[in-house]
Amino acid sequence: MILSSIIQRIVLATVESGGLAQPETEPVISSDVVVATHHWWAGFILYLPLISLILCGLCAAMKVKSKLPAWITTVCLLGSFVLSLLLYFDYGGSPELIPLLSWINLADPGGNFSGLSANFTFYIDSLSLLWIMFVTGLGTLITFYASEYMESDLGKGYTRFFAGVSVFLFAMVALVLADNLLMLYLGWEGVGFASYWLIGYYYQRPAAVAAAKKAFIMNRIGDLGLALAIYLIWTTFGTIQYDELMDVIQSGSWKESYDGWTIDAIPWFLMLAAFGKSAQIPLYVWLPDAMEGPTPVSALIHAATMVTAGIYLVARTYEFFLLSPESLHVVAWVGGVTALLAATIGLAQHDIKRIMAYSTVSQLGYMFLGLGVLSTYGAAYHVFTHAFFKAVLFLTCGAIMHGFAGQLDLRKLSGLIRIPGWRITSIAMLIGCLALAGFPLTSGYFSKDAILAEAFITQGPGFEALGWMAIFTAFLTAYYTFRVWFRVCAGKVEYEPGDEHHGDDDHGHHSEAFHPHAPRFAMNFVMAVIAIGALAASVPYFMDTKADEALAGGWVADMVHDSTAQGGLPGLDRHGQSMGDIVEHGHAGHQGEGDHAHPTLFGMDVHTAMYVISGVVGGLGLLLAAWLHLFRRQDADRLKAFLQRHWWIAWLPRAMEHKWYVDEIYQGLIRAPLWIASHLMYAFDRFLIDGLLVDGIARIPRMVARWFQPLHNGIVQSYAVTMAGGVALIALLMILFLQFWKIGGGG
Amino acid sequence: MTSNHLWFLIPEAILLVGVVFTAITGLVRSTSIRQSTPVIAAIFVVASGVASVFVFSPDHLDTTAFLMPALGRWVGVITAAVGLVLILNSIGRVDRRLEQAIAAGRLRFDPLRAGRGEYYAFMLLSLAGLMLVCTANDLIWLFLALELTSLPTYVLVAMSRTNRLAQEAAMKYFFLGAMSAAIFLYGFALLYAATGTIEFDRMRYELQSQAANGGLGALAIGGLLLSLFGIGYKLAAAPLHLYAADVYEGASAPVTAFLGFVPKAAGVLAIMVLLVATGLSELMSSLPYPILIMLWVVAVLTMTLGNIGALLQRSVKRMLAYSSIAHSGYLLIGIIAGPGLGYTAVLFYLLAYGVGNTAAFSVLSSLERRGEELTSLEDLAGLRQRHPLMASVLAISSGSLLGFPPLLGFWGKLLLFIAGIQTGHLVLVIIAAVNSAISGWYYLKLVAVPIMASPTARSESVERGPSNWPRFAGVIMVIACLVLPVFLGWLVAESRDSARTAQAVRADSAQAEADAVQPSDDSGLFTALPPLKTALQSPAKR
Repeated sequence: MILSSIIQRIVLATVESGGLAQPETEPVISSDVVVATHHWWAGFILYLPLISLILCGLCAAMKVKSKLPAWITTVCLLGSFVLSLLLYFDYGGSPELIPLLSWINLADPGGNFSGLSANFTFYIDSLSLLWIMFVTGLGTLITFYASEYMESDLGKGYTRFFAGVSVFLFAMVALVLADNLLMLYLGWEGVGFASYWLIGYYYQRPAAVAAAKKAFIMNRIGDLGLALAIYLIWTTFGTIQYDELMDVIQSGSWKESYDGWTIDAIPWFLMLAAFGKSAQIPLYVWLPDAMEGPTPVSALIHAATMVTAGIYLVARTYEFFLLSPESLHVVAWVGGVTALLAATIGLAQHDIKRIMAYSTVSQLGYMFLGLGVLSTYGAAYHVFTHAFFKAVLFLTCGAIMHGFAGQLDLRKLSGLIRIPGWRITSIAMLIGCLALAGFPLTSGYFSKDAILAEAFITQGPGFEALGWMAIFTAFLTAYYTFRVWFRVCAGKVEYEPGDEHHGDDDHGHHSEAFHPHAPRFAMNFVMAVIAIGALAASVPYFMDTKADEALAGGWVADMVHDSTAQGGLPGLDRHGQSMGDIVEHGHAGHQGEGDHAHPTLFGMDVHTAMYVISGVVGGLGLLLAAWLHLFRRQDADRLKAFLQRHWWIAWLPRAMEHKWYVDEIYQGLIRAPLWIASHLMYAFDRFLIDGLLVDGIARIPRMVARWFQPLHNGIVQSYAVTMAGGVALIALLMILFLQFWKIGGGG
Repeated sequence: MTSNHLWFLIPEAILLVGVVFTAITGLVRSTSIRQSTPVIAAIFVVASGVASVFVFSPDHLDTTAFLMPALGRWVGVITAAVGLVLILNSIGRVDRRLEQAIAAGRLRFDPLRAGRGEYYAFMLLSLAGLMLVCTANDLIWLFLALELTSLPTYVLVAMSRTNRLAQEAAMKYFFLGAMSAAIFLYGFALLYAATGTIEFDRMRYELQSQAANGGLGALAIGGLLLSLFGIGYKLAAAPLHLYAADVYEGASAPVTAFLGFVPKAAGVLAIMVLLVATGLSELMSSLPYPILIMLWVVAVLTMTLGNIGALLQRSVKRMLAYSSIAHSGYLLIGIIAGPGLGYTAVLFYLLAYGVGNTAAFSVLSSLERRGEELTSLEDLAGLRQRHPLMASVLAISSGSLLGFPPLLGFWGKLLLFIAGIQTGHLVLVIIAAVNSAISGWYYLKLVAVPIMASPTARSESVERGPSNWPRFAGVIMVIACLVLPVFLGWLVAESRDSARTAQAVRADSAQAEADAVQPSDDSGLFTALPPLKTALQSPAKR
């Protein structure tokens, strides 16, 4: 179906265009999109990570044993970051195109569509600027952190690590700044590959290899969705460039050749892609396992940046979701359920890095919830704040792992804040925890509210229940977050080292001989800076917006405004009827903002109510954690014993600890049948296809060959006879045909 | 011939000077100078490639002397690039026994027994012949250029190995080649008889007036048919493909790589030049039916026979030989599609095919087993474990030849297929696509056997060859397969510029003068943005 329509399109396009004719129609350029060639230097945001990769490759070839690769990467990424900032300050307020290199241009001058064009061009709007700034900024800082963190691998894997980070940043920048879906796809594959590379960094460890494979395969499933979505978008709308897509959708011209089903299929495929990359149900299981990679990688790729690519994708292609509103309901529900599920799993884990991983899945769920309930600015803001606080949490986990020989079990660590040298780590972690828990006035508090409030405002199937579910999840989040902090950082000083040998350390396993080595300048500096960033991330919420209308959400709402995701911005008059019903009904409350129709909760404005509710919920979670894990730790054990003693409840903690047995279910439901099917297929292929068909068909040419054997016998005379005979035969036929053709009067 | 014409022969002249130098240095008594022969050959090849860029620069295009004025630049550059790799592939193979004996002191150097000078000299001569095809403006020139391409290769086959197989292959190749020359010479004679001239310009005029007055005569059609058949021998196009498998197997791997590219490119270009010369493809909406059907049938036969032949081969060289026959079939699609997009696609495909094919042969040239070349697929089993680099080179180059998406070969095939569809040859393209799928069977073997199969006793004894240069060449070509697609826009624009006929060039320059005020919008089916400088100045066309 798809294939045939593609072929049909090509045929139509090519037949009509008739050779290399000059196109008669001018290429359509969206009225409000400007081509900003004077920003050519923005290309270096992309090139610098590539240069860094090449230099790292040279370092590897020259067997550099120093920290040179780390400095190269840090400096290059810093350059990218500075350029991104410059680009932001120089941004004129309407989307820009920055052409870099021409790539594919299959123009279709005759038809309605412009064929297939995919060039290496940047699409700069507020959304991509937001992303590119935190991606390159955090990339720089975390690379600097890693220069110290990875030093035990100096000379062995050090260069490989930084080369991998460079690849990642290169691909991520391409993904974020792409002006068409194909370039986005290349970046998408690139970050998947970089993630595979870095998760499997400790390739001697079977667990790491398995995790890398799992991540790659899960992502491949998502990638399939993206590829199909791109095909469908191209066949339906005739272009894959964002600006033209926006034009085509808004003008409604695509409806002329619309065949009726693709509109509803596109968002589903996009969702599949986004859920794969951003670790949502059903494809979330790779993310917790991805923690096998080095911790800076977890912080950068699997918490702050790459996993938000799914959110980015949905925000980028929001128009397609608005065309098919049911898909947004699904996004919201999947996000909400994932948030809850991951939070419950996080409750029962003991490995602090895994807890953080599940909390990442959970927070990503919030972001999808935000997208689903038409709060793109909330989702974008949460991505932004989450990038900081989750990065700092992972980095502090990494510092602990680094200092305590790989110890990550929260039962075996306590009172870090009292150990000299660990104060910055503990405080940074506290800041991260506060923000993650949504403690009032922290950045996470505001960004989460923006999503939660919208869940109550927007009308959709069960959105209110979804809102309450998300509030309950917020409570769980506050609890498990502070469970970590109170256990690890507070309390009396007690610790047990892990069993990881550091090449340069001579201490053994025994705690008597073990001295944790505290983080030094690079790690402390980065943790402090990102922690301050996590605090400061609440400032944009109060910053003035450039937009004419008053937007809730301040600066970040401004970032989404004017972008492809503006469909999910409250308080804005949406363009035309091409939007689905959900917009008209959903934002009814916002249409008359300031008047009477604003929905309320407990007699308060929803936003105000949400400030109160989530503050209270966060506080409750924190207090519960303080009770069970700081003041009366024995109560926690007693509670656990109580739960395990009673059969009617004992399954709960066990199931949560075993991650609801999802891995096992997948194993049983998908992998085992596939394994069996593959063996059946193999037998089928081996005996039926290979044995009968292929060999049978292959026998035909051999039989034919045997007829001609006397001619093809390696004797030069018979070759000559065959050749001459063949030529004579065809030539004669053609001459005869010529006579016929002349009589027929053709030509 | 004007002095102006001589200017365009500078690249060939450079190669001919190189021929003299290499012929001399190959006979020098000093071992170090003797061994620098391939380096000298390489230098001259690179110089001729660089020269052709300048010689055929847009300022110098001569639309009166040549049918395809800009063709020389593209062909000169890819000839130089691929030729360089072909020379690198040969390093360490030529005169190996002799040199070993001399080094061991068992023999004194005897110029009569040394083949090194001739070997590289003949390579350069053949490359010069390939370049000369592009500048042909009459039938004699075309004939001489084609034979200059072919004659040295007969000798190369004979001297490439010392065993009987090579001698036999050379004999077959020579006799059959001579016969094919006779066929197309006969065709040329008939064309002369039909038009009374050998100059392309006048022949074009004659044929056009014939076509206007009730169609072409049987003489002209017959002449053209025989010419195309005869030139088809260079391409290994059916039914003149029979020699290919035997000859390719008999010659050594570097020479086989040479045969797989240089005569084939010369043949395709000669067909292009001839069809443009007769003016048929431009005048009418398509070629005259007899020619069209003949090319169609030959294309289908060629690709199908090539692929089916390759399916069951256990010998790697034979497999690649048959597959190169199939590639000729794909190239004919572009020829059938005609000037414009079709020839653009042909030129681009020559690059893609040349890069992929020479890379695959670089692997065969860089490895050996007990001093002999690798022959069967079993020798490659588990290559990854001992020669990971070569295994990946083989895998990527096979992927490119197969047309695996991000690689260069994919874009080549895509262009050919689009050209075919655009000119209404959908059925032909479908047949080609099916053939392309069939070729997956054996190309994927070249990926799977080295990487996934476990090594056998045979493959355990595979060693590095005498020189590291073929390895280097293979790696460079594979990098090209991976990196060149990024610059697709530029490459397609270049090949499109080079494929223009004189008329098209004149039309373009007239158009450019008309559009001098505003930047011209030269987007055909394939537009490339202008070079970076202009891209930065003018608003991007999208």
